[in-house]
Amino acid sequence: MSNEHEHWREHGEIYALGALDGQELKEFEAHLASGCAICEAYVRETRETLAVLHRSLRPAAPPLAIKSRILDQIAPQAMMRPRQEKTPWLNWNWWGLGIGAVATAAVALVLTSNLTRTQSDLEKAKAQLAAAQIESAQKDELLQLLSSQDVRLVELKGLEAAPAAKAKLFWNPGARSGILLINGLPKTPTDKAYELWGIAGNEPVPAGVFRVDDQGQARFRMPVLGQGKNFDKFAVTLEPAAGVEKPSGPMVLLGSL
Amino acid sequence: MPADPTIAVRLIQQVANQDRDAFSQLYDRFSTLVFTIAMRMLKAHSDAEDLLQEVFVQVWRQAQSYSAERGSPEAWIVNIARSRAIDKIRSIRRMEKSFVLTEDPARAESTANVESSAVESEVRMAMNSALANLPEAQRKVLELAYFGGLTQTEIAERLAEPLGTVKTRMRSGIQRLREMLGTQAM
Repeated sequence: MSNEHEHWREHGEIYALGALDGQELKEFEAHLASGCAICEAYVRETRETLAVLHRSLRPAAPPLAIKSRILDQIAPQAMMRPRQEKTPWLNWNWWGLGIGAVATAAVALVLTSNLTRTQSDLEKAKAQLAAAQIESAQKDELLQLLSSQDVRLVELKGLEAAPAAKAKLFWNPGARSGILLINGLPKTPTDKAYELWGIAGNEPVPAGVFRVDDQGQARFRMPVLGQGKNFDKFAVTLEPAAGVEKPSGPMVLLGSL
Repeated sequence: MPADPTIAVRLIQQVANQDRDAFSQLYDRFSTLVFTIAMRMLKAHSDAEDLLQEVFVQVWRQAQSYSAERGSPEAWIVNIARSRAIDKIRSIRRMEKSFVLTEDPARAESTANVESSAVESEVRMAMNSALANLPEAQRKVLELAYFGGLTQTEIAERLAEPLGTVKTRMRSGIQRLREMLGTQAM
């Protein structure tokens, strides 16, 4: 940053943090609005630096149902909002009003019935489409991960607490992420969740929590793990629903690279 | 958290053209990150779920406004999430006419040493090596702003420190992170 911008340097850093306020905030926003590319780049660079704050958080996987809710919400609004155009055929002559009114009522009844059925069909089709898109996206994601040359397959075997369980982890060490496919785990208790761990040496690192369905199956996309660790084992434990920082419950699955 | 930001950029461009499949993939990449931040900032699971939904609906509606030249997809989405979370936090504060947040780390530290230790311990474990090496006073002001949604003036009031001290700690903390992460200030 050039000397002429030293004045803004302090403001830019605190602005990127979201903590600038009062007159200083007004002045700096006005400065940015004036088109200062240097300060804009400085704020952008500072935000990238500050990303370490959220990247270091223990990941929390959102409930699966939220995705469907969002996909429903972003459904094409045109389907729900019929266009309100002028209907020229309503400009009838007054002498035909009586006959026209009866006919119109009948037509309206039929149209309303058809419209209700059509909207219902559209809703069903929309839900089916959303479900298909979710499935398609998940398959695409799996395919994308599997097609990477870096990907490693880690087979996790059920331990004493869940001997019938097994899982496959497609681990991409370059991306520090992977997808876990689980079979045969006992149904997740209401107040519990399964937690995946990456183990570097003897240090377990939390890699997200998940639940299994009634068949004991789940597909879990793990979050990106922090840098600087060489994971050589992966494990799953049963923990409190919100997850924990250090494993405390029984280990149910374990596998090595 | 995408492994390859160029893929995420392409997805956002497709979302801007109302591509629901691309949106679905974008959600898969960033939903955990957004939800993690939401949980950290809002604490309540239901609030975090609401925020996640709001953020991605906004991503859907405003994808055309994203410019790769102005930051990574992660930075863009995180900025949306933090802005909305901060709005919620400040709205709650206004309603409560108080700056005290439930389970806020700074509040815990000021009221109970035992709780403070637990919170600090949790934070330390979650932090990567760069953050772990940041002086505590600097890390605290960064977290109060970043996750607590407090402004510099509010932090100064909360910590009973001069505003200038808070600013210095923020800037020193950011500078130190830059040095440790190897990012270059202009």
